[in-house]
This record gives sequence, structure tokens and C-alpha cells, in this order.
Amino acid sequence: MSAPLAFANSPRLETERLILRPPQASDAADEMAFLASDRAAGIGGPFHPMQAFRSVAGLIGHWGLRGYGFFALEEKTTGRYMGRVGPWFPEGWPEPEIGWSVVGEAEGKGYAYEAALASRAWAYDALGWITAISLVEATNDRSAGLARRMGCTQDGTWTHPLDGWVVDIWRHPAPEAAA
Amino acid sequence: MSAPVFTSPPPLETERLRLRAFRAEDFEAEAAFYADDRSAGVGGPKPRDEAFRTFAHFIGHWTLRGFGMWALEETSTGLYLGRAGLHAPEGWPEPEIGWVLTAPQAEGRGYAGEAARAARAWAYGTLGWTTAISLILPNNARSRRLAARLGARHEDTIPFRGLDAVEVWRHPGPDAVEDAA
Repeated sequence: MSAPLAFANSPRLETERLILRPPQASDAADEMAFLASDRAAGIGGPFHPMQAFRSVAGLIGHWGLRGYGFFALEEKTTGRYMGRVGPWFPEGWPEPEIGWSVVGEAEGKGYAYEAALASRAWAYDALGWITAISLVEATNDRSAGLARRMGCTQDGTWTHPLDGWVVDIWRHPAPEAAA
Repeated sequence: MSAPVFTSPPPLETERLRLRAFRAEDFEAEAAFYADDRSAGVGGPKPRDEAFRTFAHFIGHWTLRGFGMWALEETSTGLYLGRAGLHAPEGWPEPEIGWVLTAPQAEGRGYAGEAARAARAWAYGTLGWTTAISLILPNNARSRRLAARLGARHEDTIPFRGLDAVEVWRHPGPDAVEDAA
């Protein structure tokens, strides 16, 4: 079947403090600012604005191509963009991933954890995933801590063939164990 | 909060082509094109995962800009032939009209020109653009000829995206082109 690229039934998840929905144009400025900042060092950045735009466009395009992707995190109380978390599986990836990155003001509040749990549950329930990984740079203690908190265990390393980006693979507990 | 979630291209039709939204299965043709030396005129060859990034970003461009590239489908066969449309990502010198035929058998039949005229007419008629450029690598003789056929003129040569020389071709304005939307 050749369904057009739209996610008419685009999911909207709710956690205690966040709304998770596909990224949209109004998120672009905040995400591009994040990608251009030193905070993006943990995901291969900081990125030049041209590269940041391509990345944000790619986040949206991934939804079109795969039917899922990073959710934008919207803080319920303020409506503000807090980052992105979600299932991610671009061409060339070792396996489907649960990824996360949050903006500076979201840090230390447990937002990434809250959203990653909801994303993982959605990937297992709605997408039927039976396992998932998260890719974390060895120097990114905060993300490694989050992976541990989610019950992940280290499962080797992966080197990105294009970027030479070396990351630890963290394996999530399977659906029955994560529920 | 009611901003459009995802912008899809409006379908357009030309004499022999459907200009439509990209579909997931179009990627195989894109990946094959980027694996081939034919893509040297547009920055290739590039590996499959990089081709995916490029392809995905064309889709997201519609949501971020409200315009972008269309998939070109041959009306008579339903085959994906490539893409053409409007492109203005961050860092672009000006909004551009671009075209790529990924299918070798589509070349030499005027398809790229047919699609580019439709995209230009839409930019001028629907978006209200008053001018447009096309960026062409000097080694891309075929695209240079098409730009000339579209009435564009080689206006400048600039360093761009790590390349020493990229040609800027200026399209005739809305009043000077007859292919109105």
C-alpha cells in the first residue's frame, strides 16, 4: 500500500507533567537553539545552524517515513518546549532506539525520564516493539544514569558509520519486564 | 496550540506528471540514485543512511517552511521519477527552485522542466514569490541547460556548503513567465 505521508492519527501522549506530540514548526527555533548549544555535545553537536535545520526537518520527516519518531515535549503548565524523546530508527541505525534530549531549563526535573517511560510504553504497546536500545556517549553521565534508572543494561558499543560517533548501547528491559 | 502539525504538499498535475507528497517507498529510488555516480551533480554519491537523512529532511521542510519539494510520479506508469520543487533551508542564499531525476530512464524527456515550471508557477501564483534562484554545480551540464531553457540566467558563482563554486541562476520574475499557475 502506498499511503501518503501523513500521520493523521498522530499520537498525543500525556504524562503527569508533559504532553508528548510530534514536533511541529513552532518547536523549530527552540530545538535549533538547543542543537547549536554546547548542550548538544552529548548527541554529536554543537551543530551549525544549517545542520540544525536539517536535523529538525529530519525529525519531522522521520515521522512521515516511519510513522513514529521523536515526540516534542510540551510542559503542561507553561506550554513550553522542553525537548524531545521518542522512538527513533533512521536508516543505518543498529536497532530501533528510544532517544532523548532536553533543553537546559528542563534538566534536573525528571522530564526526560517521565517522557522516556511513556515513549517506551508506547513503542511496546502501539508499535509492537519487543526490545529497544538507547545510544549514549560514554562521557554522558546524565544520560547513562537515566538509562540505568529505566532498567537498561550495557550491551556493547556502536560507531556511527557517517560521523564516527562512538556510543554505548544500553538495552531496555523487554515489554513484560518494563510494564 | 492549533498550529498545523504536519504540512503536506498540495497535489499538482502537469501534462505527464503528478506532483505529490513523498511516500516511504520512494526512498528506495532515492537510495539507488545516491549510490550511483549520476548523483555527482547534486552532491552525491552518498551512502544509504545519509540519503535517508536527506530524504527525511525534504519531508520536514514542508512543515517548517510551508513549501518544499514534490515527488514526481509519471502519470502513465505511476513510477517515481525524482523530485522537484521549492527549497529554502536555513543558510540558503535565497529560496530555490530545484529538481532531480533519480530515474535514469526519465532523463532527456523534458520531465524536470515540466515539473520545475509547475513548481515555479505555484511559487509565484500561490506563495507570491517575486523571484527565485536555482543553485547548480558547475559540473552539472544537464541542469545548466535546463535552467537556461527555463529562462534563468547565470548571475553569480559563489562558495557554498564547502564547495568553491556553485552557480546561482536567476529565474525570470512572475511577469516574465507565461506558465502561470
